Amino acid sequence: MSATTTPQAAGVAQDPAGRKRAARRGTDRSRQEARLGWYLAGPAFVILVLVTGYPILQALYDSLWSYRLTAPDDREFVGLRNYGVILTDPLWWSSLGNTVLITVVTVAVELVIGFALAMVMHKVLGWLRPIVRTAILIPYAIITVVSAYAWQYAFDLTTGFMNSVVWWVGDDYDWFANKWTALLVICLSEIWKTTPFISLLLLAGLAQVPEDMHEAAKVDGATAWERLWRVTLPNMKASIMVALLFRALDAFRIFDNVYIMTGGAAGTEVVSSLAYNQTISRLEIGLGSAVSVMLFLCVLLICFIAIKGFRVDLARARGEG
Amino acid sequence: MGALSTRERVLWYVGALLIVLYALVPVAWIVSLSFKSETDLANRSFLPTAFSGDNYREIFAGNGSDLFLPALRNSIITCLLATLIAVVLAMFAAYAIARLDFPGKRVVLTSALAVAVFPVITMVTPLFNLWRRIGLYDTIPGLIIPYLALTLPISIWTMSAFFRQIPWDMEQAAQVDGATSWQAFRKVIVPLAAPGVFTTAIIAFFIAWNDFVFGISLTSTSRAQPVPAALSSFTGSSYFVQPTGAISAAAVVVTIPVVLLALVFQRRIVAGLTNGAVKG
Amino acid sequence: MASRWLTRTGVVSAGVLLASTLAACGDGSSGTGTTTLNWYINPDNGGQQAIAQSCSEQSGGAYRIEALILPSDAAQQREQLMRRLAGNDSSIDLMSLDPVFVPETAEAGFLAPMPAELQAELSEGVVQGAVQGATWNDELVAAPFWANTQLLWYRQSVAEAAGLDMSQPVTWDQVVDAAEQQGTAIGVQGQRGESMTVWVNAMVESAGGQIIENPEARGPDIRLGLDSDAGRAAAAVMQRITEAGVAGPGIDNRDEAGTANLFQQDGAAFMVNWPFVYAQAQGAAEGGSMDPAIFEDYGWAQFPRMTPDEPSAPPLGGIDIGVSAFSENPDLAYEAVRCIVSEDNQASYMISDGNPAAAESVYDRPEVQEAYPMYDVIRTSLQEAAPRPQTAYYNEVSQGIQDRWQPVSAVTEQTPALSAEFIGQVLSGERLL
Repeated sequence: MSATTTPQAAGVAQDPAGRKRAARRGTDRSRQEARLGWYLAGPAFVILVLVTGYPILQALYDSLWSYRLTAPDDREFVGLRNYGVILTDPLWWSSLGNTVLITVVTVAVELVIGFALAMVMHKVLGWLRPIVRTAILIPYAIITVVSAYAWQYAFDLTTGFMNSVVWWVGDDYDWFANKWTALLVICLSEIWKTTPFISLLLLAGLAQVPEDMHEAAKVDGATAWERLWRVTLPNMKASIMVALLFRALDAFRIFDNVYIMTGGAAGTEVVSSLAYNQTISRLEIGLGSAVSVMLFLCVLLICFIAIKGFRVDLARARGEG
Repeated sequence: MGALSTRERVLWYVGALLIVLYALVPVAWIVSLSFKSETDLANRSFLPTAFSGDNYREIFAGNGSDLFLPALRNSIITCLLATLIAVVLAMFAAYAIARLDFPGKRVVLTSALAVAVFPVITMVTPLFNLWRRIGLYDTIPGLIIPYLALTLPISIWTMSAFFRQIPWDMEQAAQVDGATSWQAFRKVIVPLAAPGVFTTAIIAFFIAWNDFVFGISLTSTSRAQPVPAALSSFTGSSYFVQPTGAISAAAVVVTIPVVLLALVFQRRIVAGLTNGAVKG
Repeated sequence: MASRWLTRTGVVSAGVLLASTLAACGDGSSGTGTTTLNWYINPDNGGQQAIAQSCSEQSGGAYRIEALILPSDAAQQREQLMRRLAGNDSSIDLMSLDPVFVPETAEAGFLAPMPAELQAELSEGVVQGAVQGATWNDELVAAPFWANTQLLWYRQSVAEAAGLDMSQPVTWDQVVDAAEQQGTAIGVQGQRGESMTVWVNAMVESAGGQIIENPEARGPDIRLGLDSDAGRAAAAVMQRITEAGVAGPGIDNRDEAGTANLFQQDGAAFMVNWPFVYAQAQGAAEGGSMDPAIFEDYGWAQFPRMTPDEPSAPPLGGIDIGVSAFSENPDLAYEAVRCIVSEDNQASYMISDGNPAAAESVYDRPEVQEAYPMYDVIRTSLQEAAPRPQTAYYNEVSQGIQDRWQPVSAVTEQTPALSAEFIGQVLSGERLL
C-alpha cells in the first residue's frame, strides 16, 4: 500500500500541439528545447528507471537460480524450475485467490462508499465543507500500519470492543482464527484507509458532469435516481475507470495490513506476503525472486486488461479526450 | 445549485456528519487505547476507565524511548529529505513536461506511471542485496533512494498538472515591461508555482511517511529504522507481553503530524489530488 | 548530446552514491582509543543495556559496548542478523541469539571460533539444556546467557477439587481430565508462531521421539521423525484437548502473553508457560488488575508427561551470546562475553527481567530464591529440558510445523505424517512456505 497514486497528469503527453511542433524538428530551436527538456527531466527519469529497472532485471536473473542466502556455496542454476514449483503449489493459488478477492471486494465497496462521500463533498457547502474535507483526509494521511493496528486491536480478543458491538457473534468469537472473518477485518482496514482517495478522484469526476444536462433531465421529469444512472454516472465513466484501475493495482499489492494483522495465519496469505516470506524470512532468494516476478506479471496483466479490454483512457480522465 | 430544498439540505448535513464519524472513530479508538493504563488495556471497552499517560511516558522517557526516539528521528529525516529531493527533481521534470517540447516526454510520463504501479515487494530483495554490498544497508540514504520510487512519480504528475495551469505568458509580459528574465521568473513565476510545489511536497511526504515495506526490509536497527517498522519492535513489560499500549501511543504520535498537515492544508491537498481532472 | 547527457547523469548518481557511502561510514568511530563493540540484543526490560554499561565500565576503557535493539519476534531477530551477516557486515561484534538459530549461524560460518579454554569455562556449572543449545558439531559456539523453560502452572484450589495430586508428576491426559471435570480450560499456545513449535517439540521429545533424526544433514537430506508414534501421541493430546473442549477462548491466536492473561483472569486453571508469568502476576495482583486471591492460588510443577512413567522433556528457550566472525575485535568481544555472562549479571538479570539464569549456582542465591519461589522446579526443568531441532534449516522446519499443526482444532492423526511430508518438500525446494 505504499504508493497511493493519482492519475491526473498521465495524459499530459498527448498534447496535439506537441505533435505539430515535433514536425518542425531539426531546427536549432527545437533541438535546443529537446536538450533542455532532457537536462531537466533526465535526473528524475534516470532515478525512476534505476530504482525499478535494476531490481526487476536482477529479480528475473535470480529467479533462475536455487540460491539461499545463508548457504551461498550451494547456489545452482535451475532454469525455470522455481516457476514450476510456484505454479504447482496450492499455497500460490490460495494466496493469489485471497489477493484477487481482497482486490475485488475492497475496490467494489470503495467505489460505492467513495461515490457517496464524493456526492456529499460535492453538495455540502459553507462552514461544513472544510470540516468534511479535513475528515476525509485523515484516513488518507494515516499510516497503513497504524490503521492495521487500530482495526486489529478493535477486533482482538483481549483488547477489542467489537465483540460487544457485533454482540450476536458472542464474546469469545475470535475474528482472526477464521479465514473469512480475518479477511473481512483486513478488508475493513483497507477500505477505511483508501476510500477517501477514491472519493477524491470521483469528486473530480463529479465536477465534470455538466450541470445543464442535470437540469434538462429534471425538466424531462427524471427522478433523482434516474438522473444518477442516466446523467451523472455515464458522464463520470472515465474517472470511475481510472479510479478503479489505480485502486485495483494498489489493492493487489496489499501487504502492510496482512503482515500486521495475521502474518498470513488462518490462510490469509497474499501474494506480496508470500514473496516476502520466501526472500526475507526464508532467505531463499531464488524462489522468492520468482514469486516477485510473478507478482509483477500479475500487475502487468491487470494494466493490460484495463487498457486494452476496458479501454481505460488515461488522457480522457483529465477531460482532454 | 441554490435550489436545494430543506429536506435535501438536512440529508446532506447528515451525510457530512456520517463522514466525520467514519473518519474519526478508528482514530479516536487508537487515541483512547493509548491513554489506557496497563490494567485498562484488556477491559474490552472503547474508553479507558481513567486516563493515564503511562504509555507516552514509556515511549518518550521509559524503556521504549531507546527504540522510539531514534525511530522518530529517522522517520523525520528520511521523509523530509526524500520529499525535498523528489520535489526538486520533479519540479525540473514537470517544468520540462509542462513548458517544453521534447522527444521522450511521453516516455518520462509513462515510466512515472509504471513506477507508481510497480510492486514494492519486487524491489526489496535486489535492493537489499545491492545495499549490503555497497554499505547502504541500514542507513538513512539507503532508505531515501527507494523512497524516491514512491514519491517521484506522484510528484511529477501533480506538479506538471499544476504547472500547466500557470499562465507562462505573464513571464514574457513582465520581460517586455523591462524586467530581466531572472526578475520575471522570481517575481511572476515563483509566486504562481509555489502553491503547486508546496502541495506536491505535502502529498509526497504523506507517501514517504506511510512506507512500511522498505522500512522493515532495508534497515535492522535504530540506526535507520523508521517508526512504522519500529512499532513491531516494541516490548511489553516482559519478553512475551504484547506492547499494545506503547504501540498505540507511538501510533498516535506519528499520526499527529499528518493530521496537522491535513487540518491546515486541506484545501490545497484536495486540490492537489483532484487537480488535473477537475480543470477539464 | 547523448554522451554528454550520460556523463552528466553518471556524475550525479556517483555523487549521490558517494555521499551516501560517506554517511554510512560516519557512525561507529569513537576516536577516544576505546574500541566500540556493537551488541545486537533482543528487546527486554533494559537489563542487557544495563549489563552493557556495567561491563564497559569494568573494562577500564578497553572497550565500550553499545547495545542495538532488534525486533521482539525471534524469527525477525534472526532475519535481521542473517541479512547483515550474509553481507559480511563488520559492524556486528556481539549478538544475543535464540538457541534455535545457533546451528544455522554456526553452520554458515558466521560465528567466530571460541577458544577451547573459554568453551570449558563458559559451559562449567551451566544447566545441561543450555549447553546443548549452544553447541554445534561438538563445539560450544556461543555463550549461554540465560535459559528458559516452561512449567505447568495450575490453580491449587482447582487441582485439589479435581483430586489431582500435584506432588507427583502428572500427564497431559490427567490435566485434560481435571480441566474437563472442573469446567475450566488449559492455557496452551495455539497461535501460528514459534510457541507452536515449542509445544509440539516438547510433546514429541517427551514421548521419546525427535522432530529431526539427523539434525546435521543438509536441507534435502534431513529425515523427519514426526511420522512416528511420538508424533502421533503429540497429535492425540491436541485432539484430546479439542474434544474435551478445554482449549479456552481464542486459542488459535493465543501466545504466551495471551495465555498468561487468560490464567490471570480466571479463564484457565492450568497452563504451560515460561516463568515470566509469575513476576507478571505478582505485579498485576499488586497493581490491582487481577484478584490477589488468584495469585495466592498459583501453583507450579514440571511440564506434563506424555506417559505416566517417562519423565517429560520440557521446552527450552533462552539467549546465547555469539561473537560475529566478521568482528574486527573478536578477542576483545570474547572478553566482553565473559563479563556479560558472569554469574552476578545472570542473577541480577533474572530478577530485573524475569529470565532464568543458565548457571546453576545462581539458583542458590537468596535474592533469586526469594523472587522465584519455584527456583528448584525451574532448575530441574532446565536440566531435563530438550532443545528444539538443532538444524541449519530450523526456520523452515519450525514454520512448516506451525503451518500444519495450527489450528489445534484441525489436528488429526494424519497431521504428523502430512506435516513431515510438507516440511520435506519445503526443504528440497519443492514447496513455498
